[in-house]
Parts: sequence; C-alpha cells; structure tokens
Amino acid sequence: MSMPSDGTGASVEPALGTLPETAAVPAAAPGERPPIWPPLPRPVLIARIVIGVALSVVALYAPFYFTPENNRIISQALYLSIAAMGLNLLTGFTGQVSIGHGAFFGVGAFTTAILMVDHGWTFEATIPVAAVLSGLVGMLVGFPALRVRGLQLALVTLALAVLFPRLASKYVEGAGGVALLRPRRSEFASLIDGLDDDQWAYFVCLIIAVVLFVLAWNLVRGRMGRAMVAVRDQEIAATTVGVNLAGTKVGTFALSAAYAGVAGSLSVMIDRIADATSPILYLQRSIEFLVAMVIGGAATILGPAVGAFLLVWLRRNTEDLIEGKEILAPAIFGAALIAIVYVLPEGVVGGVRRLLARLGRRSSGSAARPGPASASDVPDDSINPGGSHDEGT
Amino acid sequence: MMRGPRPRWLAALLALALVGAACSSRDDDDDGAQTETGGEAAGSASIDTENCASDPSQEIEGDVIKLASSYPQSGLTAAFSEIARGWESYFEKVNAEGGVDIGDRTFTFEFVDMDDQYNAAETAQNVEEMVGQDGSGAFGTFSVVGTANNIAIRDFLGDLCVPDMFAATGSPAWGNPDYPWLIGSTLAPYTLEGQMFAQLLQDQKPDAKVAMLVQDDDFGRAYEEGFQQAIEGTDIEVVATERYPTGASEVSAQITSLAASGADAFFNGGTLLACPDALTKAAAANWKPITWVSGTCISKTLMGLAGAAANDVYSASNLKDPLNPDWDDDPAMQEYLDTVQQYRPDDFDPENAIVGYGYTQAAVFVEALKAAEAPTRLAVMESLHNLDGISDVGLLLPGVSITTAEDDPYMGESLMLAQYDFAGEGQRNHFVPQGDLVDFEGQTQDLTPEDLVTG
Amino acid sequence: MQLFIEQVINGIGNGLVYGSVALALVIIFRTTGILNFAQGEMALFSTYITWKLASESDGFGLPIVAAIGLSMAIAFVAGAMIERVLIRPVEQARSPLNVVIVTLGLFLGLNSVAQLIFGTDPQLMPSPFPEGNVELFSSGGDAVVVSKDTIGLIAVLVAECILLWLLLQRTNLGLKLRAVASNPDSARLHGIRAGTMLMLGWGMAAAIGALAGSLVASQRTGFDGSLMQIIIVYAFAAAALGGFDSLIGAVVAGLIVGIADALTVQYVDALEGIEVVVPLGLILVVLVILPNGLFGRRTVERV
Repeated sequence: MSMPSDGTGASVEPALGTLPETAAVPAAAPGERPPIWPPLPRPVLIARIVIGVALSVVALYAPFYFTPENNRIISQALYLSIAAMGLNLLTGFTGQVSIGHGAFFGVGAFTTAILMVDHGWTFEATIPVAAVLSGLVGMLVGFPALRVRGLQLALVTLALAVLFPRLASKYVEGAGGVALLRPRRSEFASLIDGLDDDQWAYFVCLIIAVVLFVLAWNLVRGRMGRAMVAVRDQEIAATTVGVNLAGTKVGTFALSAAYAGVAGSLSVMIDRIADATSPILYLQRSIEFLVAMVIGGAATILGPAVGAFLLVWLRRNTEDLIEGKEILAPAIFGAALIAIVYVLPEGVVGGVRRLLARLGRRSSGSAARPGPASASDVPDDSINPGGSHDEGT
Repeated sequence: MMRGPRPRWLAALLALALVGAACSSRDDDDDGAQTETGGEAAGSASIDTENCASDPSQEIEGDVIKLASSYPQSGLTAAFSEIARGWESYFEKVNAEGGVDIGDRTFTFEFVDMDDQYNAAETAQNVEEMVGQDGSGAFGTFSVVGTANNIAIRDFLGDLCVPDMFAATGSPAWGNPDYPWLIGSTLAPYTLEGQMFAQLLQDQKPDAKVAMLVQDDDFGRAYEEGFQQAIEGTDIEVVATERYPTGASEVSAQITSLAASGADAFFNGGTLLACPDALTKAAAANWKPITWVSGTCISKTLMGLAGAAANDVYSASNLKDPLNPDWDDDPAMQEYLDTVQQYRPDDFDPENAIVGYGYTQAAVFVEALKAAEAPTRLAVMESLHNLDGISDVGLLLPGVSITTAEDDPYMGESLMLAQYDFAGEGQRNHFVPQGDLVDFEGQTQDLTPEDLVTG
Repeated sequence: MQLFIEQVINGIGNGLVYGSVALALVIIFRTTGILNFAQGEMALFSTYITWKLASESDGFGLPIVAAIGLSMAIAFVAGAMIERVLIRPVEQARSPLNVVIVTLGLFLGLNSVAQLIFGTDPQLMPSPFPEGNVELFSSGGDAVVVSKDTIGLIAVLVAECILLWLLLQRTNLGLKLRAVASNPDSARLHGIRAGTMLMLGWGMAAAIGALAGSLVASQRTGFDGSLMQIIIVYAFAAAALGGFDSLIGAVVAGLIVGIADALTVQYVDALEGIEVVVPLGLILVVLVILPNGLFGRRTVERV
C-alpha cells in the first residue's frame, strides 16, 4: 500500500514533519470518500471561490458577447470535450485504449438524427435515447474487451470506427439518396424566449457538459474511480483486493460510450448533420477525442475540456496559415500536435500544474510539504498513464 | 512540494482566452443584416419567392458579384481543387476585360473559398460561414464539389433564397423542383450515360449481356437505375452487378466475379483509381467486352494509368478534350490555355479535363449573367433556368447548346460519343469523337427514375 | 470451383500486400514496443521516393530495383532519425499515449507533405517482376493463372520473414534488439546501447515499409495519396490477428484477411460494399478465443 502522495507525482517521503496547518486535515477513513471541501487554508479557499465564480460568469456571459458563428465553434468544443471526457474515463483512468469512440459518437448522432428526421421526435428527447443506445453498444464492446487486451483491443476499436460509416451508409438513406441526415433548423429553435437559437444551443451543450463533468468527477473520486485506476495500473493485483474486473471494464466501456453518444447527439444540434458518406470521418473523430484528451491532460478532470478547446482552436487556425498552400494544413496541424506533446508531456493541465507547483515551491522556499489531497482533482497524481512515478525530465 | 490552489481555473481561463483571441464580438456583424425590400419582383414568376428568408429581388449593392465556394483543397481528394483553377482564371480574365454587364450596370467578380476535404458536414459549415446566416456574405455559391456536399447545403441556401450554382456533379437530384435555387452544371446527368451506352449497344450488339461495376452509393445507384431504365423494352440484359466500397482503389475481386458472368458488355461505373484498375484487371482476366467508362474517368491521368487496357473503351462528353490534337489550333482551346497560363500558372496540368470543365462553367455563367434581366438573385436564377441555347463558349463542343427551361433544369443534355485510342506509351492518347452529337434536350426527366430526382 | 480458386488467388494477392505492411508494424513492435500509426504513411512517402527515383518522365529514371534499394536505404535513415528526434524525447516522459499522438501527427503530416512535394495526381509504379502470368492448371475453359507479380511478392515476403527471423533470433544484434524492447532499463544495465537499438528498430521497420509500399504500388494500376489509407487498416487487423510478435503470423494473417475479403465479394451479396465487415469481424472472433492472436505467445504478467 503506497503512501498518500502529494501534489506532483514525485515519490514521496513518509509524512513526517508535517506543517501545522496540514496536520489539522482529517484523514479519510478507509472506504470513505474524501470530503468535498477539505478545510483548506482560508485564503486558498477564498481564491478558489472567487476564481470559480469568475469562470462561471465568463461562461454564462460568453454567448451574448460572441457571434452566432463563434458560439457554434465554442459549442463544438463543448461537445468534443464531452466525448474526450468519456474517452478519458476509459483510456486515461482505466487504461483501456480505444481508437473507436468515433463509432459511439456516430451511434449517438444517427440515433438523434433518425429519430428526428424519420420519426419526428423533438431533439431534447432524443439525447437520453442516444446515450442509452451508445452505452449499450459500448457494453457490447466491453465484453470482448475482457478477453482482448492492450494493443489488440486498440485495434479492435479502430476496426469499429472504420466499420461504422460503412454500415451506416448501407442502411441509412437520407434526402437525395445520400447517407446523410439534416434535421431542419427550426427543430432546434430556442425553447426560451430571449435566447437566440445559437445561444440556446450553447447553453444546452454547456449545461450537459457541466453535468457530465461533475458526474465524472464524482465517479473518479469514489470507489469506482479507485477501481478504475487499479485496473489500469495493476490489473491482477486489483482483483486480489476485490475489484470487480469485469464490472469495472464493461461498466466503464458502457459509460464512456454513453458520453461519446451524448456528444454525438449534441453534434446534430450544433452541426445539424449526421453524415455517413465519408468512410474515414468517424476514425478522424476517434483520433480527435484521443488527441484532445492527451494534449489537455489524460486522467485529469479538466484536461479533456482544455484539450478540446485547444484542438478546435488549432484546427481553425492551421487551415490557411500558408497562403496558397492549403494542402499543407494537415501537416501544420500534425506538427502542432507533436510540438504540444513534446513541450507538455502531461498535457496542458499537467503542465500548468507543474509550473504552479514550481512557482509555489520557489515562493515558499521550504522543502516539499505534503498537502492534502485536493478536492478538485482527485488522486490524479498517482494517476499518470503508464503508472510511472518518475519525474523523467 | 505544495500544490497550488490555482491550476484548475487557470487552465480553463487559458482555454477561454485562446478561444477569445480568435473570435470577434457579436455586435460586429449584426449591423446591416436586415435587408430592405426594394424593387419589384422580376418578370416570370417561375420561382416562388414567398417563403424567402431574405429578399432575392434586391439588387446587388456595389459593383462586385461575390461568389463563395467550398471544395477539397487538402486530403485525399485535393486534386478536385483543380476545377477551381479553371473558373478562377476565367473570372479573372473577365475582370481584366472590364467585367460583365447585367442590365445597365457592370460588375466584377470576387470569390472566396474554403476547404472542406470532401466532407459534407464541413461543406455545410463553410457555406453557412461564408454566406452568413442572413445571406449577406455572398451572392451565391459556385461549383461546390460533391453530391452529398451540395445536398447538405441545399436546404439552408434554399430557405434563404441564395443561389447554389453549377453544383459540380452529374447527380440527377439537381433537377428536383423543390429546390429551384440549386442548379447543376454542364456535366451531363449520370443517367444519360446509361442512355448513351444503351444506344451504343443497340447499334453494335442488340442482345448484349451487360455486367456493371458501380460504387456503393448514390452515384452508383444513378448509373445502375438509369441504365436499367434505358434498356427497358430492348433485348439487352444486365446479368451481373458488383457494387464496390466507396473510395476503394482496387477492384480485382469484383472484376473476377463480373468476368465470370459471361457478359459481353461492361459498364465501368468506377471512379478515381477504381476505374483504371477495373480496366487493367479486366484485360488481365482476358475479358474483352464492349466497355463504357464513367464520364468521371475521362482524364489524362486516369486513362493514362490504364494504358493499353483502356484501348477502345467508350465514353461521352460535351467538352473539347485538351489532349485531342484536333483542337490544337482551335481558337477557343488556345484562349483557354492562355487564360489559365496567365492567371493561374500554378503547378497543375491544364490538359487535365477538370480544369477545362471549371473554365467552361464560368463561361456559361457569364453568358447567363448577361442574359439576366436585372442584377438580382432572382433574375440571375431565372436566367439560369431559362438558358436559351448558349453555345461556343468555354470548351463546349461545336453544336452543344446549353438550354434550360421551366421543367428542364438540366444544362448538359447533349453528348458526343467517343472512343479511346491508345496509340502507345508516351503518346498523346485520347478519346476520339464518334459520329454526331446526341441530343437529349428536355428528355432527362423522362429518362430518369423519379426517386433519383426527388428521393 | 475455378471461380473460387480465382478469388482465392485475388485474396492472396491483396493479402500479401496487407501482410507486408503488417510485417513492418510487427518489427517496430518487437523492437520498440510501440504501435506506429504512421507506418502506412511513412511507407507511402517512401513509395513516392521510389517512384521519383524510377520514373522516366518525371524523375531520375533509375532501374526499378535500384530505386527500391535506394529508397529503402533512405527510409532506414529517415526512420532512425524520426525515432531519435520525434519519438525518443516524448517516450522518455513515459507516456505511451504521447507516443501515439506523435505517430498520429506524423500520420496526418506525411500524407500532406507528400502531396505537396509529389503532387496530387496518381502515378504509375514500374514493377520489378517480369510481366505475365504463370499457369496453374486449366480445367476445360480458361486456365487459372497467377500473375508473376504475385509469385514475386510471395518470394520477397518469404525471404523477408526468413531474414528477419534469422536476425532477431540468431544474431547478437537481434538479441540486443529484443532485449531493449522487452526491458530497456535492464538492457542498459547490461551495457546495451538502448538508444541505438531503438533507432535501428525504427530504421528497419521504415525500410520494410518502403519495400512493402513500393511493391504494393507496382502491383496496382497506379497509386496516389490514398494508397495506404485502406491498406493500413487491414494491415493493423492482420498484425493483431497474427499476434503482434510473430513475423510469419503477420503474413499468414494478412493472407487470411485478404482471402476472406475476396470470398465475401464473390459469395455474400448482402454485404456488398461493406465486405470489410467480414475480415474485421473475423479478427474480433479470433481474438476473443485466442487473445494473443493466432501465433502470438502467451504473455506472462508479473504482479
């Protein structure tokens, strides 16, 4: 049993000689959740609340400030972050690499599109159905995942992402005989007077994203989260301490697929299209989710969101960077990805945290003091993908 | 080490800042979004303007016609961007010569484009961005590439009554009367290729057994159903059909299957690399049927890949082929080569047929503009729907006359049968026109299964 | 029956293609432990280089065999450089996901750069094998033939497998390569220069990929940027099916995938256009029954 680690992932000295204020932190009894608001030092707590409020104000005001076009882009980043979070639960926390989440995204998108276009459902009612359906598909995939591991699993999921558009294009028929569905714009009209359609769409995405992120946060802080990490880091040892391997793996697959499905469903509102005409689209989506997760910071809570926004921004700005050489856009994008991973191996969130820890250390001047496990991002320092605790710089 | 209390919100703020840096304010674009209703609705009311979200009879402000286009500029289908080189150079030439006169005003062309990588969702997004939610961003879209791509934007543009002109595929769906603001190009509808082949077989082998290779999507279905309809009532019969996965670049298993069917005629509906591969595999299997290749395969590069296996295959076109030495001294061909050389001396080969195609679309469009009664979207669209025999512009073959009417929105309805002559490696192998121009004027609706048009 | 055999031969032709690319994937895995998503695009880039060297109209007009050889050498160096410059620094941070992102970045970038340098038009690749067919047997009607290309490809692949196996299993160098893949730190403690071994592994895989790509392109009626996009998926499937650590497994699995695909085209009309379901479904079924693939060794997990 390892000692509780501190904020940075460095191997830890036993918690001797703790400073007075941290000695007052009640340790969590085994099996209990860490308290939501551990008694942090007052100024820190106030700073957090202030920042949290400021962030919320920005998020709430943004749609009234930005153009509809930009709101749409932000909403895209929001649904992308939901999918990335779903993948994070599976890959970042549970260690099952999936390059197939685009397929679950597609299941969600087409569920919504088909229900709306062919059966006249209202959009909002389709979201739960999309979540359940993609969750079911995820569960179906989760079972073979019990036998197939690691690299082979990654490739099986890749196969899914390749198969999905082919299957969809065979069995889905839209207007004009092409395999794409476009619900009418009026179907996504704002349900609240005073909110424009694009603002309404933004808020729907925002609220669902916040709810799902809080859900993920809760999950990860609790028993399930510890089980997930145990499966990732040391599967066999995990079973010996009573972690239900099958349940964890299948359950996480289902949940992460459901997240991707919700993201797909939201994408139908934002992009107003479910498209099966491109054989590589859903593979590209899978890659997007993976990239967003990694460059944001795998196995963190905010990472997927940060990564998603970064990804969207990158894509928009690499398109016509070099006039006359649009053909290079993917290369510039690829180079940017490599650069980010090079400079920030733990993603943006990991890198920022590292930076702040350094600043904190420099300013406090004293030796490392083991701080309480922060309530915001739960045991993620022991949660480096790959399980290594070395500071390998 | 101490963990600071800050990382979480800082990261989020960073993200928002990044987004904000690239974004503009909401108020910037709101001004002037409302269009005033001014001017009477132009002449013949063949297009219903009652439900337009913006007013199509408003005259263009200023002296610029701004065209928007979305087409693949990167990714695997980047070669399609060469179509744009053709029409861009034509428009620039017109600009250099003073512009085009519509009514009593003169306009020059301006064009914007975005890359969609052939992805329909991307196209939808691009077009909505370029045209704007109120339609004020551009006069209309021009030469958007891809059937699914145009389908993805036709509702949006139709509601706004913004023209989507010269959709760059031969889908019969462009004749759908529910979408009067979308019109196709001089590319003949795919179903007419089936007609041409049927006629050819009637002449050469009236009891032919036909094998068909088509792509497994709407494009393939247009060929399949169009040809089936064309052979109704004849002794020609389709004995085998193979649908290959969209985008496949080799079809050996499909050809083996077709060759074993005993067919003596072959409709090669393959496109891109699948087309020449089908030809070489057929040759390798010692199968020598009367072969038709898709109009999308008539290009120097694709036919060149097939080499000797392409000898004697048939196809049809309504454009002059830059590879054909007969047109070397043709003034129109010379002008085309000069124009492209002058305005778009990029690294592509003007002998590629799609560049000539793009060039010709611009030429036809300019004629349609001249014939428009007023510089409004409505009038221009009506002009496009009432083209009265435009000929001898761009690279149109002599005798080809572009005509449209109220119940016939198809421009490309005359075709010249041609047969490929492979003279040898490194030679100027090209399609040799056969016989006279075949005219299907006004017949496309009758010759096309209903579900392909309105489906 | 004849048709069946012809389709099997078609399947073998394609299967050899998948197998040859899968070989490169397996080599990289066995020497570095990494799944290289960019393998296909690296092979594509090398294929374009081969073409440029060999093309008489647009390139240097070298004899095709020399062009392939030279291209393989260039690929070897490039692969080693990629490992040193792009992969190693990221790998040191000990996150396999980061390496995946780098290979994905390469995957996106290489295709685009190739299009820029070599153009977007499809090109013809000359074949190093003689033209024509070899008759297998005739049964009444036309003879069943195998093209000399296919036979040549079989020969090359068999030779590759033998050489690689000899290298990995029977030489000191091979031992070092495998040691580094299995446990780099431990290998270092034994005085093995891990960095050099990793570079070698990538270089080898890149060279094999160059060979595979060039041969594949020569078998086809022209190639363009899309050459590897479909193939790489089948190659991954073949590598997974074969068990990632078996050379011969990769080739055999490739054949199985190719043949399954061709037979589905012929006999299963319901799956027209989506025949890819069968080989991929096959992979899934086999992996569930044999999680280490058909030829993979059982991995022992130490707790």
